[in-house]
Amino acid sequence: MSRPPASRARLRNLPGPPPGRRRRALYLPRAARVSAGAGGVPVEVDGRPIEAVRESWLVEDRWWSERPLRRRYWELVTGDGRNLVVFHDLESGRWFAQT
Amino acid sequence: MRTYVRMAATVICLFVPRLELVTAVVRAARGGAGTGGHEGREDAKSLLGRALALAPLPGQGGFVGEVSGTAEALGVRAGMRLGEALARAPRLDLVPPDPVGVGEAWELLARALEGIGARLELERVGVAYFQADPLYGMHGGLDGVTAATRRALDRLPRSRGEEGPGGMDVRSLTMACSRARLGAGPTRLCALVAAQRGPGRRARGRSGAPRGGHHRSLHLAGAASARRYLAPLSVELLRLRRETNELVDPLRRLGIETLGELATLPRAAVSDRFGRPGLLAHDMACGHDDRLRERPPREQVEEALELEDSTGPALDHALGLLLDRLLARPERRGRTLRALVLSAGLVEGGTWLERVVLRQASVERERIRMTLSLRLALLPAPARRLALRVEHFGGPDVQQRALMEEGRALRLERLREAARQVRAGAGLEGALRIVAVDELSRVPERRFLLTPFS
Repeated sequence: MSRPPASRARLRNLPGPPPGRRRRALYLPRAARVSAGAGGVPVEVDGRPIEAVRESWLVEDRWWSERPLRRRYWELVTGDGRNLVVFHDLESGRWFAQT
Repeated sequence: MRTYVRMAATVICLFVPRLELVTAVVRAARGGAGTGGHEGREDAKSLLGRALALAPLPGQGGFVGEVSGTAEALGVRAGMRLGEALARAPRLDLVPPDPVGVGEAWELLARALEGIGARLELERVGVAYFQADPLYGMHGGLDGVTAATRRALDRLPRSRGEEGPGGMDVRSLTMACSRARLGAGPTRLCALVAAQRGPGRRARGRSGAPRGGHHRSLHLAGAASARRYLAPLSVELLRLRRETNELVDPLRRLGIETLGELATLPRAAVSDRFGRPGLLAHDMACGHDDRLRERPPREQVEEALELEDSTGPALDHALGLLLDRLLARPERRGRTLRALVLSAGLVEGGTWLERVVLRQASVERERIRMTLSLRLALLPAPARRLALRVEHFGGPDVQQRALMEEGRALRLERLREAARQVRAGAGLEGALRIVAVDELSRVPERRFLLTPFS
């Protein structure tokens, strides 16, 4: 999916960070230890057992470029009641948490 | 202990009979007669001797306007249906009305009176009142005030050029001033009766100097005297006031012919049958009056365009231009527009005028233009002149934002100072700003950025 022109323009117009400081994106993915069950459904994340799966969705983007993005997202509820969002990177086969 | 004696107020009435008809006839005569001013005036005079009536205004039913004395003698009355008027006077001539010319002439007359210090109540076209007492010191008693009024009226036509601002013929102004009558009395009604019965042009000498005084004055002390004076007069006089105009026919049907008969009726019964207008008529007949509703000082803010037989889109374009010019006038001083007068000179002769009161005082160009365009669609013929005048301004435009938003500027300055203090204590990364880059992205890390607060 391409980025809308408005957002590109907004990125260009952002004031540059002072020397020694940089911009950081929020919600950057961090690696997670996930055990998956039948059908690739997570059953444990970072040692926490999963109580329920709330939603799952697929994101495919930049398939036309050399760095395509294919992710299977899972929104989960752990045994202690936390909400977690993890995804399985279908290109590299690794799992990440992203909340 | 001091004793205050309240002096009886004296109201002066300026009465210009048949102003609308005279203005229209002069305009019609100018169109058909020779170019010399004297010729035109003579022609208008001879026209006024015929059976004339103002033609019905387009879109306002088939009722004739003011009628000449000859037509009146044949039984034609203003406000009569055209068919009935023609049945009574088959040789009745119809004159196209000139509402713009009438408005201008009346405004000039009013301004001439305001020029001597009078604060006017304009009852309707041709009838105005003002309080004489406040002017006694300036002009020297009632005679001084009426003499100053007459001088102002005599001076008025000479002070104008050949034409008024809207193409108004000054000859109509001259005729109006020469026909103007003044009357003084303790109430409006008494003053009007005095003006109607007072010396007109015929009572004045060749030099223009009055023979029998400048005006007719009624010296009536108190309401009882006024009531006695009004008692034998016809209830027809109630037509002269807007609020009581509708009462005349019902009163006559009930057999009440004079103001004296009306005054003897129980007040409660009059109120029960006729409501507030009835009470007002009863008060008038009893010699009572309320305060004059003096008009506030007015500014003349008008824009006009000469056109070439314009209709449709050309007129709309002209309207847009006029509105732009009006909104740009410095006299507006940031005020909104409340009431406007849209007028046009028609190709076929005559003029057209519409008063537009905006539901909400505004300076929004498109909104005002849309309202005016709807009225402009009622124009009965192509226009050769279009004018737009502000009749009333509203309050200042409160929706306008201040050039410097001080509150916001102060808050921003405090925030910067707080960020400086946080950075000093917690390091350069201590204060960051979240910037939304693409809030709706399906990929979460693309939605927001953290940037240094600067």
